[in-house]
Formats: sequence, C-alpha cells, structure tokens
Amino acid sequence: MLAVDLTGDAVKAKNGSMVAYDGQMAFKKMTGGGEGLRGMVTRRLTGEQMTVMEVQGHGTCFFADRASEINLVGLHGEKLYVESSNLLCTDAGLRTGTTFTGLRGGATGNGLFTTTVEGTGQAAIMSDGPAVVLRVSAQYPLSVDPGAYIAHTGDLRQSFQSGVTFRTLIGEGSGEAFQIRFEGEGLVYVQPSERNTVGGDI
Amino acid sequence: MPFREINSKMVEAQIVPGQTLYSQRGAMLAYRGSVSFTPSITGGQGGVMGMIGRRVANEQTPLMAVEGSGTVMFGHGGHHVQVVNLTGETLYVEADRLLAFDGTLQQGTMFMGSQGGVMGMVRGQVTGQGLFTTTLKGHGSVAVMAHGGVIELPITPNRPVHVDPQAYVAHHGDVRNKLSTALGWRDMVGRGSGEAFQLELSGQGAVYVQASEEKL
Amino acid sequence: MNFGPVTGGPGGPTVFDPYTLPSDDNVNPYTFCVELKGSQWLLQKGKMIAYYGRIEFDGVGHGRFDRLLRTSFHSPLHAGDWVVAEGQGKMLLADRAYDVNSYDLDEGNLTIRAGNLLAYQPSLALKQSIVPGFLTLIGTGKFVAASNGPVVFMEPPLRVDPQALVGWADCPSPCHHYDHGYMSGVLGGIRSLTGIGGSSGEEHQFEFVGAGTVLLQSSEALMAERPVGTVGAEPGVPGAGAGHGGHGGQGPLGQLGVRMPGQLGDFQRRLGL
Repeated sequence: MLAVDLTGDAVKAKNGSMVAYDGQMAFKKMTGGGEGLRGMVTRRLTGEQMTVMEVQGHGTCFFADRASEINLVGLHGEKLYVESSNLLCTDAGLRTGTTFTGLRGGATGNGLFTTTVEGTGQAAIMSDGPAVVLRVSAQYPLSVDPGAYIAHTGDLRQSFQSGVTFRTLIGEGSGEAFQIRFEGEGLVYVQPSERNTVGGDI
Repeated sequence: MPFREINSKMVEAQIVPGQTLYSQRGAMLAYRGSVSFTPSITGGQGGVMGMIGRRVANEQTPLMAVEGSGTVMFGHGGHHVQVVNLTGETLYVEADRLLAFDGTLQQGTMFMGSQGGVMGMVRGQVTGQGLFTTTLKGHGSVAVMAHGGVIELPITPNRPVHVDPQAYVAHHGDVRNKLSTALGWRDMVGRGSGEAFQLELSGQGAVYVQASEEKL
Repeated sequence: MNFGPVTGGPGGPTVFDPYTLPSDDNVNPYTFCVELKGSQWLLQKGKMIAYYGRIEFDGVGHGRFDRLLRTSFHSPLHAGDWVVAEGQGKMLLADRAYDVNSYDLDEGNLTIRAGNLLAYQPSLALKQSIVPGFLTLIGTGKFVAASNGPVVFMEPPLRVDPQALVGWADCPSPCHHYDHGYMSGVLGGIRSLTGIGGSSGEEHQFEFVGAGTVLLQSSEALMAERPVGTVGAEPGVPGAGAGHGGHGGQGPLGQLGVRMPGQLGDFQRRLGL
C-alpha cells in the first residue's frame, strides 16, 4: 500500500486505486487528451480504457491495487518505461506518454505499447511480489522472462532471444522459449512471479 | 486466549478445556493434542449466534467450534491475518473475514442500515456483502483475514477517514459510519458503479484497511 | 508531497548486478539466486525470471542428459515439467510471488508436494513418493521450494490439514486421520450423505508420528499442479492404474461417494482413485 502525503499538491493515480484517505481530497477524472496522457488512457488496442485520476488536497491518501507490491522509482530527468497496468501513481509533474515497442509485443500480443514516465519526481509501480532491480551494463546483458518484466529505465535495447533450446522427453511443451534480452546501460525491474508469462516456458 | 502470530498468514491458538474458540470452517491448518472441530449451526450463544450461523451459512462461510486441549494453527487461502485484541470495545467486521475468535466474546449482528440510513442497503449492493455486520464485544482476541496487507488507520474526532468500501476490513471503537456519494466521486474514482461510494468513518477508534479492492 | 510505502517494498531499492547478487541465496523472500559455474541445476518449467551470463536450458530427457537423469531424476511422470540449466552465470528463480526458500540436505531425505519444488542440485536424487502428488529428494545438496506464506516447521505428533502440508523430512509416511465423532452416529451419517448440517471441513487430516520434521504452509490454497499422468498399473502400487474410475480406496467417506473437503481432491481425480 502506498501512502501519499499531500499538502495542496497533486498526484496522478490509476483510477479506482484509492483505498482510504484522511483530510480533504479532491478527485478529478482525466480522460483522453492533454499532455501525452492520451497515451496512457487509450493505449489499449482492445478498446479497454485505462483511466487516470488526479488527486489534489491536504492530508494522506492511500493507494493500493489487487494487493500488489509497490515499488518507488525516483526519476531525475530520465525516462521510465512501464506497462501501463503496472503504473499506480506518479507525481503530477511527471509527463506520461506512450512508446511503441513492437518487438516485444510481436510474439506476446501484449505490450505493443508501453507507457513512459519522464521528468523529475517519483513514480510508484506495481509488481506481483517486491520487484528486484537488476543493472544492465555493456558487459552484462540480461535476459528476462516476459512475464516477470515490469519496467526499465535507461538506454536499453530490447530484443527477443529465442536461442533457448527446449526439448522434452514426451514432446510436451517443446519448442522455443522466448526471453527478452536487454543490452546497453540501465536498470530493469523484474517481479518474482511468472504469472503473466506468455512467451517463456522456462 | 490470545493468538500468537506465527507469520503474516498464520496464527496459533492454545485451546484449554472449558473454553471454546470459533473459527471459520476449514481454516484449521494443523493441530496437536486432543481437539474437536464441531460444525456450529446453532452456535454457542443462543439466538444471536444462531443468527450469525444462519447468515453465514448462506454465504458458505460457516463457523465451527473448536474445543478440547491442545494447540491449533489457523490460516486460510493465503490471506493475511490481522489479530485484533479487544479490551472491552466492539469490533465490527464482515463475518466472512473472521478467521477465528474467542468464544468469550459477545457476538452480535448489526444491521448496517440502522446506523447510516441507506448505508446498509447500499453497502450490501456495493460489496456484495450482507446487510448485516458481525459485532464482537468484550475482552479477547479476534483473527481477521484480509486480501493483501492490512494497515490500521486511527480515527480521531476531527480527523475522519474515508475508505473505499471494498478495501474496508473492520473497525472498532466509537465510530459512526456514513456512506457518502461525494459530488463527482461516482464519475471520478469509480471503476464501475460499485466504487462510486466512499465510506466515511468518524469518531474515536480505528479502521483496518486492506491493500486491495478485492473481497475475500 | 511525500511518497511512502506503507507495507513491503524496499525502502530505497537495491540495485543488483552480477557481482552483488547473492550466490545460491535469497535476493528477497520471494526471489532466489542460483549461481552456475559450469554446473547444472534442475528446475521446474516457468520458474526462471531472469539471468545474467551464458546459461542454456534444455528439457530433461534430451539426450545429452541421459547420465544426469540416471542419477538425479527418477520421476518420469514429471519429466515434462523440468528443465536442466547449465552454464556460467546467475539466474533468478521465483514462483507466483510465493515465499521461496532453499533447504540443504545432508545425507538426508525430504518429501515435498510436487508443485512446491522449484529447483534442485543434481547431487540430489528426485524420486516419486509413494504418496501421490509428492516427490522425495534423497542425498546431499540444496533445493529450492516455494510456499504460500513462510514455511513453518513442526515436530510430530501432529495432525495437518492436507492442503496445508508442504512436505516432511525423516518421518514415516503420514496416515489419514478421520474425525471419528463426525462420522459416527445417525447424525454423522446423514451429514456425510447429504451435507445437511454442514461439515466442519476438518474431518480428515494427515497424521504424523515419530521423529522428524513436518513442513507447513500457512495457506490452504493449493499450488497449481500440472497433470503428470499416472504410475503404471501394478498390483500393490498406490495410485496405479488410471481410469478404473469410482471412489474406491478413500475410506468410509469415499465409499459413500461423498467427497469431503480436504480429501486428496485433485490427486484423486488425476490418479483415478
């Protein structure tokens, strides 16, 4: 659960994620449009809309969503890439937008678009279990199960890795398993769960 | 008999002869000693208990009486368990969130509607939970289940707390609850019609909130 | 404005790289890091979440591992669920955000619910337990297991709800314990036949006696298990011979054709008991 102390300022949060507050709060719905928010709002190709609300006021506001673990990411000008369903809350001052990451989505049907958060401030991202933050550097590329990936920052190239052989005795589950390979310099957030695994069988 | 918290999802209780403990059926994980688990239809405390029993039975979360001599461990469905120790005050909690409680506690049901006007009816609709809320009063321990972690928020006279009805777990103390449909709330925050309401708790006491909007 | 996590979450997130990741230890309660130095580990499919280095994954049963399988893998029914990881590097294992722990066996044996075992060193031999749905690890080495909530260790004598049982070490096999009072008498009979009056859900437990350790998880929600087929139909093999149907061998309640809460449930169906 995330507690945000507000003193007259505002945060953007996933719609319906407020579980409790004290003090005075005003909730404002933000739908399609304006400052790149459109991306976050209407990015889903399925037509399902992710709506965002702005919370402003004095007091403490508590956010939570499906008992997910919450990880804070402090941004100092860099860009955070996160699956929009994993983005819980950001400083109102942060810019949110959308990028196209066709590669990763190519096989999974998911994540064709990724939400980006940019600026200086804090963002709260959700994971199934506390996230582990892994550094990627030139000599240490990282391979991640698509189902465990939640977010990354920095200058990273993503590619599909399908060089993983997978053969079994009885042929069940045979075929290639996919992982996302990250190269470059940056940080990758992974969750201790493969619940949403779509590409990986390892 | 207090519950010993073994971890965030499991509690242990000592059962001594002559004392009864009630728990949700099927919530026993393990036990030592000579302990009996009896389905409680009519319950221990006459009419009131029967009322809970019946009501709860309809929701398929019936209670059982735990008696004998030994040690019993309780947990259920991987839910977080919050132990509330009562020293004379009243705890209001949805019956299906009760994992186990002291048999010495005075059990009752409260029609939520009697306190907050439309509250009861609306609450029932909102959360899919009943119109009745179970009350437990006296000196003893209650183990309450929640989806995700639980935080305790104090309620003081000039600092009311607003809670999403679906994240509400329980409250105790001298607290008035009111269902408010703050202007715009319905459109602003609600995902569907369900979350269009917020529960306002004011007075003196504490409310337990879970880190999820999911019911058990 | 002040953001603060109320529960869980790292205070300031620790950033790990191949040097700072622990070797064969927990990164956090839900993630375990295995270091491979040319060595092998066996892991259940779908439990690897990320890795550094050069690691190859192959299904068990792939020809190269014949020798390994001969010594370390004796559970043909589960072959489809396991892969061999081999190479240089560090990999992270996790399972549905459940608690993950490693256990060391020293010339020992431990039996564990098949769905709870994530990975083990090939120095251990994995065999199917006589108890359907459970696997036994024998020898010396490390293995990693998941549980819903932290594992609690208990000493016998003890009666355990079947769904809360993770495994046991050194104990004789558990036996079934039925609540006698519940089944006896007219009322009991009616109850078990019709369900009227309800069950306490605790009529049936696994009972452990003797010396050893019993491992419990705090939840009664069973980990999902993959169907693994059945053992061959041989006289004297429990759980053998799929498809002869019926509810035989489930004790008095089974003969009544009533499936009580807490009975073997999925195993029963899967193994055609």
